Amino acid sequence: MWISLNIIQDMVDIKDIPVADIANRLTMSTAEIDSIEYSHELLKNIYTAKILEVNKHPNADKLTVCKVDTGKGVLQVVCGAPNHKAGDIVALAPVGTKFTDTFTVTKAKLRGVESEGMLCSERELGISDDHSGIMIFPENTPIGVTLAQLYPNLIDVRFEIDNKSITHRPDLWSHTGFAREIAALFKKPFKYPVNFDLAKDFKSKETLKVTIKNPEGAPRYCGLMVNNITIKESPDWLKARVEAIGMRPINNIVDITNYVMAELGEPMHAFDRTKLRGNEIIVRFAEDGEHLTTLDGQEHILTSEDVVIADSGGAIALAGVMGGGNSEIEDNTTSIVLEAANFNPIYIRRTANRYNLRTEAAIRFEKSLDPELCPAAIIRCYELIKMLCPEAEAVTPIIDTYPVPAKPIIISTTTDFIRRKLGHSIDDNTIVSILTSLDFKVTKNNNSLIINVPSYRATKDISIPDDIVEEIGRIYGFDNIPEQPPFVPCAPPSRNIKRTFEREIKFILVNDFHMTEVSNYSFVGETLLNKLQLNENKELQLKNPLSKEQDRLRRSLIPNLIVNITTNQRFFDDFKIFELGRIYLKENRLSKDLATENTRVTGVIYSKKPAYPVFYDAKACCIGIFDKTLRTNYILKPKSDNLPPYAHPARSLELLVNNKPVALVCELHPKIANEFEIKGQVALFDIDVDLLLSLPQQDIVFKELPKFPDVPFDISILTDEKEYAATLVDMLYKADREYIADIEVISVYNQPPIPQGKKSVSFRITFRAKDHTLTPEEIDKLQKKVVAYVEKNGYKLR
Amino acid sequence: MKKQLQDLYEQTMSAIEKATTIDELEQLRVKVLGRKGDLTQVLRSLGTLPQEERIAIGKLSNELKEKIESTLENRKTVLTEQQINKLIMEDWLDVTLTMPGTLKHYDRGHLHPISQIQYEIEDIFTSMGFEILDGPEVETDYYNFEALNIPPYHPARDMQDTFWTEDGNLLRTHTSAIQIRGMERLKPPFRVIGPGRVFRYESIDASHENTFYQVEGMMVDKDISVAHLIYFMKTLLKEIFHKETTIRLRPGYFPFVEPGFELDIHCLICGGKGCSVCKYSGWVELLPCGLVHPNVLRYGNIDPNKWSGFAFGLGLNRLVMMRYGINDIRHFLSGDVRFLYQF
Repeated sequence: MWISLNIIQDMVDIKDIPVADIANRLTMSTAEIDSIEYSHELLKNIYTAKILEVNKHPNADKLTVCKVDTGKGVLQVVCGAPNHKAGDIVALAPVGTKFTDTFTVTKAKLRGVESEGMLCSERELGISDDHSGIMIFPENTPIGVTLAQLYPNLIDVRFEIDNKSITHRPDLWSHTGFAREIAALFKKPFKYPVNFDLAKDFKSKETLKVTIKNPEGAPRYCGLMVNNITIKESPDWLKARVEAIGMRPINNIVDITNYVMAELGEPMHAFDRTKLRGNEIIVRFAEDGEHLTTLDGQEHILTSEDVVIADSGGAIALAGVMGGGNSEIEDNTTSIVLEAANFNPIYIRRTANRYNLRTEAAIRFEKSLDPELCPAAIIRCYELIKMLCPEAEAVTPIIDTYPVPAKPIIISTTTDFIRRKLGHSIDDNTIVSILTSLDFKVTKNNNSLIINVPSYRATKDISIPDDIVEEIGRIYGFDNIPEQPPFVPCAPPSRNIKRTFEREIKFILVNDFHMTEVSNYSFVGETLLNKLQLNENKELQLKNPLSKEQDRLRRSLIPNLIVNITTNQRFFDDFKIFELGRIYLKENRLSKDLATENTRVTGVIYSKKPAYPVFYDAKACCIGIFDKTLRTNYILKPKSDNLPPYAHPARSLELLVNNKPVALVCELHPKIANEFEIKGQVALFDIDVDLLLSLPQQDIVFKELPKFPDVPFDISILTDEKEYAATLVDMLYKADREYIADIEVISVYNQPPIPQGKKSVSFRITFRAKDHTLTPEEIDKLQKKVVAYVEKNGYKLR
Repeated sequence: MKKQLQDLYEQTMSAIEKATTIDELEQLRVKVLGRKGDLTQVLRSLGTLPQEERIAIGKLSNELKEKIESTLENRKTVLTEQQINKLIMEDWLDVTLTMPGTLKHYDRGHLHPISQIQYEIEDIFTSMGFEILDGPEVETDYYNFEALNIPPYHPARDMQDTFWTEDGNLLRTHTSAIQIRGMERLKPPFRVIGPGRVFRYESIDASHENTFYQVEGMMVDKDISVAHLIYFMKTLLKEIFHKETTIRLRPGYFPFVEPGFELDIHCLICGGKGCSVCKYSGWVELLPCGLVHPNVLRYGNIDPNKWSGFAFGLGLNRLVMMRYGINDIRHFLSGDVRFLYQF
């Protein structure tokens, strides 16, 4: 919203306050000023001059060389306009005038002829859109006068207000609101721009009735009929003000209603009286299916939740949102009905959203406006109409229908309460004087306060003592309150086990396995899921997605991680990334209302030319998490059936605890890798963090260090290429239950002379006795025992 | 005899000078000073001399012997040094090289910068007695809006454009949703923070994301005041930026607090002079906060006449951007390793 300081000046004298100070105090105490704009600043440099002679440019047909009298001397100016002659009074921008960041008037030669300034068109001056020629003033205009002096209305300073910061302050959607704040902040008198005495002149020549059928939708309606109107262009001062508040001038009546809205904050409307059918204005809910074409030409089919203004023939306006085309003011209108009403903000908001008509009126009504604004706005409107059309006449009194007047708000509190909430000792007098400056009526008895809230703050904004605390704090300046630590017992807070666990897992992956954490969107889209063959249409869908690529919530962290591979493989030959985040499962309901959120940790390892299958790295990371978090009670099980479509059927492994799968390690299915044009090997692991956390932790129990030496024994077994090493290890352990302390695979070999389809696996078996050093005889016996056992199980030794 | 000694001395000294290896020096030592060495022989023959001469020659030969010994020793030190230097030069390694196939500095792991700052903040608050809470990312209207004093059709709903899900719930627009869940579970007095991911229905550009991170904070106790809030906010910022930061507190409207504030910090990118990050104002909006609205306490089953509290919400993305001078919020969820490796 734009605030014009010219308009403010009418209500509070701010001439002696620097603009930056006003903006800063408002930002610190009232509302955020997004920007400050100095309107038509340019006109302060440009002044009138008289053309003495116009000569042809020697080198250019379309240019002329003018001699101009500036009042202080004669300058030569080259001009490209077609419309000037000797004797014209024109606008001269002297050398040094800065029009934009990239255009400043300089002393220069134009096609070989010296030019010492620029003659300007109305568009260049920002006065109108006219660029057909340079601006030519009436003959009697003095020369050497700045345009700022000729057009004082255009010189203004505008504040752009952050609308979010005044959501709760209906009064601040107006210039009076800001003028009151400035007056309070700078301790200046405030002058309300409405002269209520004017209403005394209103005659009762005509009848106009207003009936509010549904006060719950429209608590108050004020109407006034005015005759002898002449619709015409607004005078310059009004046009300038209408433009300053960010609107386009239309005609005198529309401009006045818009201006009063910006000035007082009450949206107004004017109907053409002759178009009203009958003498009664009815405020009611629309009938379901009722038609109305609004001023913007849109036809709407209304519902019984929309409030309308109607006459005997039907709806003539969508209440608080937009007028109807059927009662619109036209150039030949001479009699009007002015409307200033108060509507229930909830209905206005719903209607505005329903028809996507977020008008200036709707934006204000939905904030809960003060019903007292209605008569004030009518009177102010009338005053301005009289100013512009002196022959105009109010032919009815204000028809004010207000069936259930709002109750005034009175707040009881104490100065102690205020001090306690602020944590700062502001004395009673300061508290009372701040409230008084804000138009609150205060009755004080010792430290107790009875506060009458002004009607324009009483609609929603201020209702409880805490609201009063804010008023005191913001005017006193929150910045002036010194910090203070609280007196509270200190004890360690209880630990969030889940959070701690998540952090532990991240640290294992980052610190132990040198992985890099990524953070991906919670969203996925159909195209991506289809590419992964993961689309089962089970995802929780968004009702209002931003795009088709992000229209549902993920059921796995894998899809977006695969996308991460495709983006990063261009830059790196090897990388290891993981994400710890939530997936959303709508078929399981966490509580009555919510989809289950399951936390997963999923990692992908990419290598363009791996030295060994990257699967083994993924497996190490996955098992590392289990081991380091002491969930060591798992079983590793190769898996080839019922795999997710992204898993390589011959390179997948499941981690089971109590027969429940907790994690999957696999390489990416070659088909998927092709689909995503991944050039390299990808392995991944996917762990259910919630399940992992729920598993019992194994205690760390100290084991005595071995006292007697280890005796290694290497053995190579020839077996089928697809035999699992784990099977052989299990078998070897059974060879002797007492002295085998450890078995480790030390190499796997399948090159010639190993026959095709076979491999040789070498193991290092460690023999150890708990209570003595093994004798050569014992060792020999153990070796023979192992060999015999292997052969007995049908394997060949190498 | 004296001449003989003198000659032997000269020869030996010049031989030491010429020796190039420690072995040669050792041979020289044996030849001159050894048991059967030249000088030893001379000393042995002293007995045959008259006493006067014997004393003089004896003195001289001892002097010469000492000189030879010390020269030998010095020469040995020099040669040893040379030998080691030679070995060292043979060991020369291109230390500027990162050998292919070896451990690389960038092989280290990287925690996402948001996680890093989140954990820092968690630790700061844990040290001040705050418990860490959690909440669902897909929330109900009740927890995200209604119980936070934002009833349906309230204009404040416009301040937070919302993603709605097919089942009538929403993606939480702020971590403030955690407040109510916290109050339902805990009895006052308490201090909690709730970090997490939040969502806004918003088109993405360099300064807007539809997914970002916040930390919610809340303290409920007896007579909690604005002054207490300021204390915690200042302490937090001092800990995060490791220096005193200039802040300002101005009114801000959030329906769940009363009074409500915006806490701005002096822009750390330009030092308050004005730059594109602070939109040339010198200040960056960092932290909406305020005293908990009595209605919100009631929604959390807490009696506002007995208890009061403060609450704040801290945007983590903004904080990380301030700390490292990151100019585009889209990096955080880009999954681009080139970005993540920098932290």
